[in-house]
Parts: sequence; C-alpha cells; structure tokens
Amino acid sequence: MISSLKKSLESTFKGVAVKEPEDGSISVLAPKDSLPVVIRYLKDNGLHHLALLSCLDWPERGKFEVVYVLSCYMPSNTDYAPDQRLHVFVKTEVPREHPALQSVIDVFENAEPYEREIHELFGVHFAGHPRLTPLFLERHYEIPPFRKDFDTRQYVAETFDPIPPVDE
Amino acid sequence: MDRSHLAKWLKSPAKMANKYSLHAVYFCTGCGIIEIPPVITARWDAERFGIKAVATPRQGNLFMITGYVSLKTLKAIIRTYEQMPDPKYTVAFGSCPINGGMYWDSYNTIKHLDKYIPVDGWIAGCMPRPEAVFIGVTHLWTLIDKGKADGYIRYQKKYAAYRRNQEMLFGDLGWPPLYPSDIPAEEAGA
Repeated sequence: MISSLKKSLESTFKGVAVKEPEDGSISVLAPKDSLPVVIRYLKDNGLHHLALLSCLDWPERGKFEVVYVLSCYMPSNTDYAPDQRLHVFVKTEVPREHPALQSVIDVFENAEPYEREIHELFGVHFAGHPRLTPLFLERHYEIPPFRKDFDTRQYVAETFDPIPPVDE
Repeated sequence: MDRSHLAKWLKSPAKMANKYSLHAVYFCTGCGIIEIPPVITARWDAERFGIKAVATPRQGNLFMITGYVSLKTLKAIIRTYEQMPDPKYTVAFGSCPINGGMYWDSYNTIKHLDKYIPVDGWIAGCMPRPEAVFIGVTHLWTLIDKGKADGYIRYQKKYAAYRRNQEMLFGDLGWPPLYPSDIPAEEAGA
C-alpha cells in the first residue's frame, strides 16, 4: 500500500515530493496551494484519521512548517496485514511574514481546535476557519508565545517580576 | 476525643470545631491533584483528620492549590477564594505556587501565589507525598490554635494591595471589589 500510494501521489500532483517510506510512515512535502487537495486525496485513499496537526518554527529559514499527521484505521484482526499499518506526515511550509494557509475543516472536522491553537500560539492564519478566537491564553501577547523569537525570560522579567509582594 | 483537649474545647469551642472539620474545596489545578484522590480515599483516609472534600466553595474552608497556577486558573482561584466563607485557610501544595518551580521562566504561569491571594501554609516538594498533606494539616491546626492562620483577615486588611496586584496582571478583572477600598485597617481586622 505504501509504495502504491507514493507512486500515485507523485503522479497525481505536481510539486509534491514524497520521501522514502520508513517504519510504515511516509512524509509528503506539499506546496501550500495544493495542500487541501492532497489532504482530500489521502482521505479518499483510506487515511480516514487526522491524528495531529502541529507546527514548527524555523527562524533561520524564515518558514513555519505545518505538519498534518494522518493515519488509517486498522482493519479487523482477521484481515490485518502489517504493510497496511500506515502513517502519513503531510508537511507544508509557509513564510514567517504573514503566514496563511487554507483551512482543512471541510475535509477533517476535528482540525478546528488544532488550527485555532496554532493560530493562537504561532500566529498562522487559517483562511476559512469559522472562529479564530483565543483558545487557551488569558493575556494578549505581542509576539505569539510559541515562536522562537519570543523571549520567555524577558517576558517573565517584564510581566511577573515587577509585581510587588504584599507586605505582611 | 482526647481528654487533654477538654480545656481547649471549653475555652474556644468554635475554634476547635473549625480545626477538626476542615472542608477542602475540590479544586483541581496542575499535577498535584493526582495526589489528592489517594489522600481523601481509603489508602490514607483524610477523614481521620476531619478533612472532607466538598463540591462548592461556599461550603468549604480549606483551599488547596495543588500545583502550577496558569493565568486562567489564577482568575478562577481568586473567584473561588472570594466566595468561600470566613474563616478560610489556603494551603499551597508543591513547589510551583511557592516560586514557580520548574515553570520559573514560563510565559503563562504565575511565580508567586502569595502576591495575589494570602497563603497560610506551604507544602514543599515536587510532588509532596500524601503524608506531607497530613503533616501540613497538623501544622495548620497549630497555626489555628495560635491564631496565626489569619490569611482571610490579611486579605481584608490588605485588600487594596492584593487587588492592585491582580489588576496589574489582568487589567480589568470583570467583577467589582470584594471589600470597599476605603475601609479603615483597624476596623477591618476584627
């Protein structure tokens, strides 16, 4: 299944690079414009589960790397074959200046809180998301706090340290 | 009942009753809450010490902060603390409420709990064992006996300072002050 998926992905989409399979997982580098189509294609080909949506910050490359982890549900035990165990990592890069992506909620509904979280903590905008409102954070941060250029120690020194203790 | 305590009971029954019936607010924050179910259930059985977990802050008088306090949790803690009836006692559990612990440089957790609400006792450790809770409680008994567990009186007296610290962090808290700010200090500390 893995090798056929690799072949069909490379022949169907232009600009999609598929790395060599490793331990039942393959990683797909997709340009950001064709990302929703690739995700939709993978879902139609048996990867029914979006396990995780994550983001990485590469300041020296000037990119955010958004990672979609897809997996397929196990077939029932009787017809289980080891080569059907499959994870697919779909990676796409967005520039750090005005990062924006197309939302995949219409394909995977459970991407909604993940996208909201990444928008809050990295500042990546997801076009088509119904409510990109704060999810976890209480305060407003000038730089989203999970970016590499967010200096936590300086933030602590500016925010928490000036608060005086209450004298007894 | 220990017969040697009889004199204390006759002298100040209210204080003794408070001391031996601590009702802990079942408020969960951070990782320390994992130690509380064994404390209140059969293995260590906190009811030996008169501690029971209650559902709402309006029935409780012991507030245990069990772990790191994020900003959102702090807001809930302040609201919960202000709803508890007097006399009320706060015990901070674990090293994170003391000075931040391993979250000392985190962007989203407060470092010193006693800047925002008064704390009567600290249980250090990461994590403290359930036995440490009972040692903390017996220390709290001593403090109550001596009248030194006075966090709720301090909160009333220094309310302006506590409120100022809370507002430095949150801006507008979203609810009016608990005590009027022009209350004279000697009148408040009754």
